[in-house]
This record gives sequence, C-alpha cells and structure tokens, in this order.
Amino acid sequence: MVNYATAAVEKAGVMRGLVSTNRVPLGSEIYNRLLETLYDEAAALDERRFDDWVAMLEQDLLYTAPVRLTRNGPNKDRDVMRTMMHFDDNYSSILMRTGRLSKSAWAEDPPSRTRRFVTNTRVAECETAGEYEVSSYLYVERSRFDVAHNETLSAERRDIWRLVGGAYKLARREIIVDQSTLGMSNLAIFL
Amino acid sequence: MLQKATFTLADGATLDDLVKRDTNEVMLRVMNDEELYKLEMERIFAKTWLLLAHDTEIPKAGDFVVRDMGEDQVIVTRDRNDEIHVSLNVCPHRGMKVCTAEAGNAHAHRCIYHGWAFRPDGSFIGAPVEKEQMHGNQLGKDQLGLKKARVQVYGGLIFATWDIEGPSFDDYLGDMKYYLDQLFCRTDSGLEMLGPPQRFVLPCNWKIPGEQSGSDGFHTLTLHRSLMEGGVMGGTAESIYDNAPGMYGVDVSCEQGHSLRCLEAAQTFKMFSDISFEGKSVEERLAMLPPPGITKELIPQLFKNLSADQVEQLATIPPQVGGLFPNILVAFIFAPRTDGGSSGALALHTYVPRGPDKVEFINFIFAEKDAPEQVKRDMLQNSIQQTGTSGIIEQDDADTWPQIMRNARGPVSRDMTLKYQALHGHERPEGWKGNGLLYPGFTKDDTQWNWWMAYYNLMAKA
Repeated sequence: MVNYATAAVEKAGVMRGLVSTNRVPLGSEIYNRLLETLYDEAAALDERRFDDWVAMLEQDLLYTAPVRLTRNGPNKDRDVMRTMMHFDDNYSSILMRTGRLSKSAWAEDPPSRTRRFVTNTRVAECETAGEYEVSSYLYVERSRFDVAHNETLSAERRDIWRLVGGAYKLARREIIVDQSTLGMSNLAIFL
Repeated sequence: MLQKATFTLADGATLDDLVKRDTNEVMLRVMNDEELYKLEMERIFAKTWLLLAHDTEIPKAGDFVVRDMGEDQVIVTRDRNDEIHVSLNVCPHRGMKVCTAEAGNAHAHRCIYHGWAFRPDGSFIGAPVEKEQMHGNQLGKDQLGLKKARVQVYGGLIFATWDIEGPSFDDYLGDMKYYLDQLFCRTDSGLEMLGPPQRFVLPCNWKIPGEQSGSDGFHTLTLHRSLMEGGVMGGTAESIYDNAPGMYGVDVSCEQGHSLRCLEAAQTFKMFSDISFEGKSVEERLAMLPPPGITKELIPQLFKNLSADQVEQLATIPPQVGGLFPNILVAFIFAPRTDGGSSGALALHTYVPRGPDKVEFINFIFAEKDAPEQVKRDMLQNSIQQTGTSGIIEQDDADTWPQIMRNARGPVSRDMTLKYQALHGHERPEGWKGNGLLYPGFTKDDTQWNWWMAYYNLMAKA
C-alpha cells in the first residue's frame, strides 16, 4: 500500500518493467494473443470506441499514472513518484470519464485524432493462474483541431491482463510517463 | 483618479489603449505580445508576491524544491534553523544552475560547472582549491552568495518577492485575509501537500488562465456543462441556464486583484440540495455538511483557529473558488464521488509564464494534515479526477485557452476586446461580516475587472 499521506520525496519507489521472472516467450500463443489484445485496445481508443474499450476492462481495475520528478545524486533513479498521479482511477471513475466524453464534454469535442504505438512488449506469468504481467512502451501522436503540430507523449505501461471467458481483460495499469512536466496540454485521452 | 501610464509599445499603444478603464475592455492583443510580455516579467513577476511551494514539501533541514518566479528560477530551501529561504538558481560565478534537480535534500548546493558551493540559506561556502582563491580577490565571500528573494510563509504556503522594500505580505493580501484564513489557517496542524505537484505546459498566454482565476463563475455554466448534465451540480441539460446552479452567492474581492466566490453550502450540489439549514445552529450546520476538506473530528479546531464570524461563514457560505493576483487559482470544492462519498477536493494552481505563448500549469493538491488517512486518499483521488492534467473540469479549460491566444495573433482579431461590462457594483449584503469589495447575487464581471485593475496598477509602475 502506497503511503499517500506525505509529499516527502523519499517515499518514491523505483519499480519498473516486470516483477515476475516467469517469462512468457515472445512468439508463444499467449504472447501473441496478449499483443493482439494491446493492438485491439489501441485501435478502440484511437477510433474512440469507448464502449468497446470499457468491455476490455475488469471491474476491479486500477488505472494510475504517477508523476515523474527530476532528481540527482543517490536518488537519481528513484524518479517515479507514486505519491502523486496524473490519473488515479478505478472502473467506476473510468465509466464517469467515458460517459462524460461520450456526452457533454467540450474537451475532445471536436475530438483529437490519435495514434497509439505500442512496442517493446514483455510478458510474464503472475502467481494467480490466468493473470499476466504485460509491460509495453507507448508512444502517442495527438492532433488537435487544425493545428499542424502534434502533441506527443511517451510512456511505459505496466499492466495486468486477466483471462476471462476466453478474452484478456485489463485489471491493472500503471502508466509511467517520461516527462516530469507534461508537454501535452491535457489528458482528456486515455493512455 | 487616473494614473498616467508609463510605457508605449513600439506601435504606439499605451497601457490605456490596452486596458480601457472607461469602457471596461481589454484588447485581445495582450494575450500574445512579446513586447508586453517582457514588461510583465519586469513589472509583475519580478515585483509582486508569488506562490512557490508549501512548507510540507520541504519538512526537513536541507530539503529543497526548485520553482520559478516568472522566468527566474529559484531554489526554495529549509535551513538547520528551520527558516525557509528562496534563492535565485543562478551561480554568481558563470551563470549555471546551481541546482539541477526538481527536489531533494542537500546541506550544500555545489555548482557542477566549477564547484562553487552554497548553503541552503544561499550564502557562499567557497570555490574548490581554496588556496588559489578562485572566487577572486575583488569581492568578499559574503558578497558572493546566491541572490535572495524576500520570503513570507502564510498557512504553510511559501510566497516570495524580489521587491525587497515593497508592500508587505499583509498589504498584498488586503481584505482577502479574512476569507483566506478560512481555507488555509483553520486547523491546528494546517494543510499538507499530498505529493509533488502535477506540472504541464499549455500553448497559451499566462493571463488567459490568470484572468479566469479572478473568479470567472459564469464560464462554468457553458464550458463545464458536463457538471450539470452529469447531475453533479443539480439540474439537467435542458435546465442549466434556467436554474444556473452554483452562480448565486457572494463574490468577494479587493483592489489587489484577488477574489473568492462564496457559495451557499447546501445549494451548490444536487446531492446536498435537500438539506435545510433553516433554524440550525452553526455547530449543527457544520456537522450536517462540513466544509470541503473538513471532517467531523476537525470541526472543534475551526472554533479554536477562527473567529466566530469566520466559522459561521464557513458553515453557511464558504469561500470555494477564486484566485490571487497574478497567477494563483484556489479551488476548495465539494467533490461528490462515484462511490457516494464527498470529502472534497483542495487544490491550488499557479500559472507560470513560459514565454508570451506558453504557460506552465502547476497543480498543488492538499488535505488537512490531521484528516484520517482514508480521507486524504479520497481527497487526492477527487482532486486528480476533477482538476489538473486529467481533471474532468480542467480538461475543458485546457482545450479552450490556447484558442483564445491563437486569435490574439491576427491583425484584425488582436484589436478585438475582452469585455467586462456585466457589472454589479460593490454592495454589502445585510449581516455580512467580512470586508473587501462585495458582489452578492449572480456572479458577474466585477472580480475579473478588479484583476485587470491590479494588472493595470502594476504595469503602470516602471
């Protein structure tokens, strides 16, 4: 349990990538299916098919994006600050967000045109059967209005996908963005 | 009494052309003008009090955060004597940043370029190879410290100014202190920042969010209509303009350009709207609907730290949103949660200029230090979901502001004006206890015009 009670920077962890060492090899059936799922998810979000995306989410979903902090000296690699986040969501708050975007938000109306590029995917088995850790790199190109210059964002995603009724569903996602000061003017899109 | 403006831009425009005091208009060109921007950096950001940090970000001796006073970067530190210092992050030797991290702990800040070193209070320790006296033989060590700003801590908030002999912090706050105390100085242990601030950059001029933070309540009805349509603030899509939820209250303001919107607690949100305060005592009202961020256990502390009049206001018509001139937004709001809770969201933003066409949005998120851990957890989540980078309210603002600035570039568009002509005029509501300029009823343009008058007054002084 993360201690959310203080701003003190020493509370930061460094956890990145996969925790489990029980790797699911690249090219295996499970790996291929999970990679396909990530591609399907990216397409659903790029095409703004929010109902399709929500159908890929588990009801115990935790969806977070810690802030990064530029640090030096002995703490220079402890820069993922899980005491503060850009996203701090669960299944019901995600439904609130997608509901708002589908109905009355001025943000994303007119919508951004986005491309989510998902690469460097690594998979490992969790202790619970049917659950998989999936870490991937995400690169987003986002076109707003008629502005000729895209906003971009790069991040690592640390997911847990769960096999439910023959399909993989997202149960955990931590988005580790690379910028301490985001160059994207809002996060009205999902990462 | 009209002061004489003291600058003329290259094309002949004066401050009085830009800020039209006789008609309550401001030329759109001010939202993207390189020449004006340079003057603003000198006359506003190098002069007035600016919010930089909170003391809970730097709890221990040697703790520091790096922040910006306009385009000037500073190190905010706590020394061994528990004093807070704000020093320019510019090495007096060759201009390098003395501190390259955003936060940390150091009892000496050593410049990585040639090794000049400084204490947390900014004083010069020395340069390497002491026997060769590489700090030179013209200035004493006592003259080689980092340039220091004047510091004031209020309710844990760390403010600083470069105007060493200028107006006191109390003069800067003016009549707003009475209201701000109700938010920042109401509990024994005060507020706590829940983590480092969110930071992101928007392609817009700092004054676009700046003037909105002068208590622009009216935009909420249209730009943030999703709050109404979602049922959170009462009403439906069809009844937004008829019911105008959250628009009626008392806007408080002052000549210094600060303002807060005080809204009747029981009326702001639909989920509370069946609560009647009729005939209820202050204690009963506080227990029925504690102000945002206050839990039932903390209520006795309100009476200890505030006057009876201040507590009564907090129980009845608390200050909720507004801002401090030039670039601070205050949002201490009721925040109904998707799980049915409503522990509130407490956030401050600063809008730090990054050139005439960019602003950095810094989101500071708080809870009362003495609140239970679960309340802090909920409030952190509320603030993140409502405000800042992904906040459902401020997503809408972030998509709007850049387009205003884009319009400010056209040779025809730049001569258009921003209009602040829906004015109420100062009127003291019956029984109102605080001072300041008061605007009861529907929220109008008065407070934002006061923001522009504060802008005018600073820009008129060389």
